[in-house]
Amino acid sequence: MRKLFSLALAAVLALSLLALPASATEKVDFSVFQLKVEIDPMIQAFGKLYNEKHPDVNVTVETLGGGADYGGALKAKLAADQMPTIFMFEGQGGYELWKDYIADMSDADWVKDTDLAYYDPDGKVVGFPIAMEGFGLGYNAEILEKAGIDPATLTTFSATKAAFEKLDGMKAELGLDNVVSVGTSVAGGLWWVTSQHVFNAFYAGYEGYNDATVYNALRKGEVDQERLTAFATYLKMLYDYADANVLENGNYDAQVAAFASGKTAFITQGNWIDPNLAQLGATFPMGYISHNFLEKESTGLYMAAPSWFAVNKQATPEQQKAAIDFLNYMALSEDGANYMVTEAGMVPAFKSVKQQPAGPLSKALVEASARGGNFNWYFGQNPDGFNQGTLGPIFELLATGTVEDFVTDVTAAFEEIAVK
Amino acid sequence: MKRRGWIDSLFILPCAFAFIMVIIVPFALGIYYAMTDWNGVNPIVNWVGLSNFQGMFKEPQFIYSFLVTLMYTVINVVLVNVVGFALALLVTSKLRLRNVYRAGFFIPNLIGGIVLGYIWQFMFNNVQVDMGQALGIAFLEKSLISRQDTVIWAMSLVNTWQYAGYIMMIYVASIQAIPGSVMEAASVDGAGFFTRVRSILIPMMASAFTITLFLTLTNSFKQFDLNFTLTNGGPAMRFMAKPIRSSQLLAMDIYRTANQQNLMAQAQAKAVVFFVVLVIFSLAQVYLNKRKELEA
Repeated sequence: MRKLFSLALAAVLALSLLALPASATEKVDFSVFQLKVEIDPMIQAFGKLYNEKHPDVNVTVETLGGGADYGGALKAKLAADQMPTIFMFEGQGGYELWKDYIADMSDADWVKDTDLAYYDPDGKVVGFPIAMEGFGLGYNAEILEKAGIDPATLTTFSATKAAFEKLDGMKAELGLDNVVSVGTSVAGGLWWVTSQHVFNAFYAGYEGYNDATVYNALRKGEVDQERLTAFATYLKMLYDYADANVLENGNYDAQVAAFASGKTAFITQGNWIDPNLAQLGATFPMGYISHNFLEKESTGLYMAAPSWFAVNKQATPEQQKAAIDFLNYMALSEDGANYMVTEAGMVPAFKSVKQQPAGPLSKALVEASARGGNFNWYFGQNPDGFNQGTLGPIFELLATGTVEDFVTDVTAAFEEIAVK
Repeated sequence: MKRRGWIDSLFILPCAFAFIMVIIVPFALGIYYAMTDWNGVNPIVNWVGLSNFQGMFKEPQFIYSFLVTLMYTVINVVLVNVVGFALALLVTSKLRLRNVYRAGFFIPNLIGGIVLGYIWQFMFNNVQVDMGQALGIAFLEKSLISRQDTVIWAMSLVNTWQYAGYIMMIYVASIQAIPGSVMEAASVDGAGFFTRVRSILIPMMASAFTITLFLTLTNSFKQFDLNFTLTNGGPAMRFMAKPIRSSQLLAMDIYRTANQQNLMAQAQAKAVVFFVVLVIFSLAQVYLNKRKELEA
């Protein structure tokens, strides 16, 4: 009896090893892995809505961003054989790394509706623009008004410097802790604020939108010392007027909160902080000025598609088709426009979208875009890992170091990666 | 007799299979990849021989990480063991609430490395700075983990806070194994507390020291999760005329090379060097300790 029982038990256990998962469902499963942490609730809601309206597919959305390492996590997913169907890349550096996993989308419907798609070297469309994003030096209009400073006059380095000095002298009566909120900490995960975004002013400032002379020279190893020194002096000024603790140790929340609570008059962040500002209850009027590191006049902002969705070339054909349908829906449907603009507050990259974003910084961006005279983004074209690994520590060092060392280090860094 | 052997190996098979797949195969593959130029994503891999190994010893960041890991290991091993031993003595004395203390000292060990890092990051960046500013103590006004001269000590402080309780338990077990009569006899003969500790307790605990020194040595040398969450490589500084991260220990340097710089093969080469150095150190330590045990 006991022998029979144990034999039966062994048989059951053995059979359970052979059990297959329930026969393949009709649904096509695909996944999205994205890095914009500020729109996570909105894109999750959009994913759910899409699943309800399209019962034959099931999309799972995952987000990782802010200060965390998206690039590292994506590589880990690849190694674990869990490469997502749709993932993000941020420019040429990312494209070069992942090109064996990026599919050609030239025939997709959304391509005709935008100017900001990402083209591979053969001219095929491979990247779906997430949004149009931009930044400059954000300001709190209320505080500037109280201090008697008109932001429209802050168009040169000396004007900005004078304004900073004035605000610094009036800190007590304006209730400010510091003039500007900057974070550059490697530990706090804010290396991208300075080494990517503010530094972009160096790559692109004072030139036409499609004029890449400075950046192209840089990639050949020719670093304009005068321009770099002027930029470094400007950046050091920003650091000097910022809270040392937030600068060297702070994280994304600390930097945004300082501006949102009215403790600083300026912030070095882009329009993507609009949802965070709304959450923190910041209702004051705000806008952007240029990063004025030269004496020339400048009112332009730095805008482009920050990243692109790519579809995994190695996924199954059904998954790839489902992914492209998902992207078409996001770009061209009412629900998609609603999610991108009204819910997530992004500036749309698609011409057919009629909605306007509600966030004050996004509105400033739309205005600047209509005005013209803006500048492109070039940091995405640096080799993968260069901005975080090589430039990050250099920019952090400037907080405690000198302008001369900074110029030497940056020059050496670009000479090392020069493409002759 | 043959049948028994066959059944035994069948029982071992699942375990052996897991060990081979998870440890032996990746180890062998790792040594192979260390001599190629793989970047982690590219399906094409080229053989480059020993150039990865030569290259790494010229990198300022790697040399610095190596030195700072050695320094951190020395500081940490000393601190954790001294504190652990002192706590063990405290907890085995005639103190009233000693059992409460024993549980209390052990509790920090239950917190995982990641949570530990975030909590202490808050403590250093916010609590310590606010306290320093309120009390006007200049040394505390700047977070200890944002200064390159104090960041390693701060990391060791946090690691001691977490790990000393665990080490204390090992010492306590060893102390309690010593017959009370020996200590009593010594005190009757007029030996003071420190003499008793130095001449009787410590020699009789030689086997515990082997274990604790080994654990703390390997734990410090391999430190990653605390490093990542507390300082993420920490304040930047200049070394050999290049900007580097001043609290980036070896494990984190390997991680960074692999993930950020996409130099999987170089990272693998560094990992091989890491393994060899650690094996040499731990074997040396265990050998020296075992000799002391035999003498005692």
